[in-house]
Amino acid sequence: MTEHHSDRLEYFISASAPNAGDGSIERPWRSFNDALEAIGCDESGAFDATSSHREYEFVFLSGPAASFQPPARAQHQFYVNVDQHVGGGDGSELTPWSGLTAAIDGLKSLSDEGRLKPKAGECVRLSHRQVFSSTSVEQKKERRETIARYTFLGMAMMLVLPVVAILSYLFLQAWPALGPTFFFDNPRQGMTEGGIWAPLIGTFFLVLTSLVIAAPIGILAGVYLNEYAGDNWFTRIVHLAVVNLAGVPSIVHGLFGVGAFVYFANMNRSLLAASCTVAVMTLPVIITSTKEALAAVPVSFREACWNLGASRWQTIRTIVLPNSFTGILTGVILQVSRAAGETAPILFTGAVFFVPIPDSGVESLVPYGLSDRFMALSYHLWTVSTQVQNVPKSVQFGTAVVLIGLVLAVNSLSIGARVYLRSRKKW
Amino acid sequence: MSRSTGDRRSIAQLIRIGLDRTEPVVEWIIRLCGWSAILFVAAIFFFVFREGAPVLFSGGGSESAAVADAEPSYFSLGEFLSSPNWRPDSEKRPQYGIVALLAGTMSVTVLAMLLAVPLGLGAAVYVSEFSGPRIRETLKIVIELLAAIPSVVWGFIGYMAIGPIIISLTGAPVGLNVLNGAIILALMSVPVIVSVGEDALRAVPDSYREAAIALGASRWEVVYRVLFPAAKSGLLAAVLLGVGRAIGETMAVLMATGHAVQIPHSPLDPVRTLTATIASELGEAVRGDEHYRVLFLIGIVLFAIAFVVNLTADVIVKGIRGEQND
Repeated sequence: MTEHHSDRLEYFISASAPNAGDGSIERPWRSFNDALEAIGCDESGAFDATSSHREYEFVFLSGPAASFQPPARAQHQFYVNVDQHVGGGDGSELTPWSGLTAAIDGLKSLSDEGRLKPKAGECVRLSHRQVFSSTSVEQKKERRETIARYTFLGMAMMLVLPVVAILSYLFLQAWPALGPTFFFDNPRQGMTEGGIWAPLIGTFFLVLTSLVIAAPIGILAGVYLNEYAGDNWFTRIVHLAVVNLAGVPSIVHGLFGVGAFVYFANMNRSLLAASCTVAVMTLPVIITSTKEALAAVPVSFREACWNLGASRWQTIRTIVLPNSFTGILTGVILQVSRAAGETAPILFTGAVFFVPIPDSGVESLVPYGLSDRFMALSYHLWTVSTQVQNVPKSVQFGTAVVLIGLVLAVNSLSIGARVYLRSRKKW
Repeated sequence: MSRSTGDRRSIAQLIRIGLDRTEPVVEWIIRLCGWSAILFVAAIFFFVFREGAPVLFSGGGSESAAVADAEPSYFSLGEFLSSPNWRPDSEKRPQYGIVALLAGTMSVTVLAMLLAVPLGLGAAVYVSEFSGPRIRETLKIVIELLAAIPSVVWGFIGYMAIGPIIISLTGAPVGLNVLNGAIILALMSVPVIVSVGEDALRAVPDSYREAAIALGASRWEVVYRVLFPAAKSGLLAAVLLGVGRAIGETMAVLMATGHAVQIPHSPLDPVRTLTATIASELGEAVRGDEHYRVLFLIGIVLFAIAFVVNLTADVIVKGIRGEQND
């Protein structure tokens, strides 16, 4: 009389059946009324409603069909929950019927009222509402959650993908120019020929000089903030100053360089003036990362050292600085990358359009003195892309790719140092 | 042999003693370096003000009276703040009004933020709440590298890549316009928004999340109903820092927004920003004349904007930390 379908019981109902059968495919019921009567006098336990895994399907047939394909999914879904001792319910997931008899009764009245009109071939499924299964509310929630997750993933990807696309575009365009001659040749014929040696070496000296100025001040300032400064209003002001120094627009740093170094300190437009400007600008990078690196050294290290009678400076010199060396290095490397890429601060403080420098020999390695004007890679990129006509595209893109490669390589070094530091951390 | 090691030890001791003797000196040097940040911020204001301010007071805007007599002053503070006309090179009567430049800066910044804030906060939520540790680390590194790309390279990208794309997609006559600058600025300020926003989300105690999940909230509901309200000031700070970065950006907007001093009517109009004006005109201005000083005055305006934005963001962030310590 029933077919087993992984704990699913199937019954058949056909309005054209001659008389009340037993619900099997050969002798279907005529309506839910028959089903109700059958359940009323059933004693075989086929309708054991306490089994929580059983589902009941009522398949509607147009007639006694020999070749019947069970439908893939139920068109009408109702629920029954035998653990629910409150009567009533409408068979929905949230308010299921309280028992099988009530359920069939409910189905019968639904079909009597005309609210449930299954067509032939459709099926009505009655499932046990399982307490720990997901309800439709939960499923909706889950769907929303998936949508949210993928939306946020998409947002994150929208940051990554354009950059990857742009970088590969730049690289492809630059490919014809890249080669040893591009690096080691000086710009010629009004930038339309030759390479980028003069700006490259200029950037190197700019970074070196600004590093020499900024690193000691920045590291010591970080030491002050983490080791000496008390928790008071003055320290708060120092913190605010660091934050603001980092937030001042780069062109304002450039104006400051013009006012303070070029004119007031009489450096004129020179490598030194530009380096000082860039040093001031990149100081917060070093201060912040030094401070973080020092803060990562456990206080117990210092306490142990103090207990041996060491003074504060001795402790810093022998314990704190050696233990935070890699962290400080990270900040210094970041400063280098920042300094190499900046254009606005050096625009009016020393970088110039073109400086003829020797093509070979020692003088091509040290072409700029501290008081000389110089060429820088970032400035050069601006020049060849917007200021000069007829520069071949490959030269423009080549300059951009070298600058970006330089900066990203330096940055990767810093990230690598940090990852190494984290893996080696002993405390 | 033994004598020499003895000597070496004594030299090492001497160095050590020397270092210890100099401790007060070293500590003072450290203090001075620590205070240098204040010194530099003050110096930036002082020197920019020193070059720019005379135009406010002396009418002539020049160092000597003779020059002032030779060059009549056209500058007035009222015009500076209210006129949309920026014509420093005019033969008849130079005009120095920054309204159009301010409108340029604001239009680019606002449009950039419209793009960057949803993306940045979305990415921050993903990194902080949804991704696994491995993806999180990778994304953070990518975003860090994104932040490292120099502004002149961004400008170059806008000039060479995004400009032609805008022309072919919208049919605009010029590709260097508000939209281009905004796209570039959005990509530039997103790393700030993501990292500060992520910090703000992570600063929300886990007990909040656990309580919400115990009440049956899904992850998205936790984000939307619990984390956003709890971290809203930190997220605001993230947005503010993004705005600060966008307003102060120079080379990228100089190259990507075109060079038309005008109040834009559509995202496809070229504009010029405050920063780009300084960068493109300071080279031509003669030291001490009115044009030169007005450019420094714009610098002061920028400094003030950046100061207010950063101060506000910092106060907000510090406020959050204070609350958590309580």
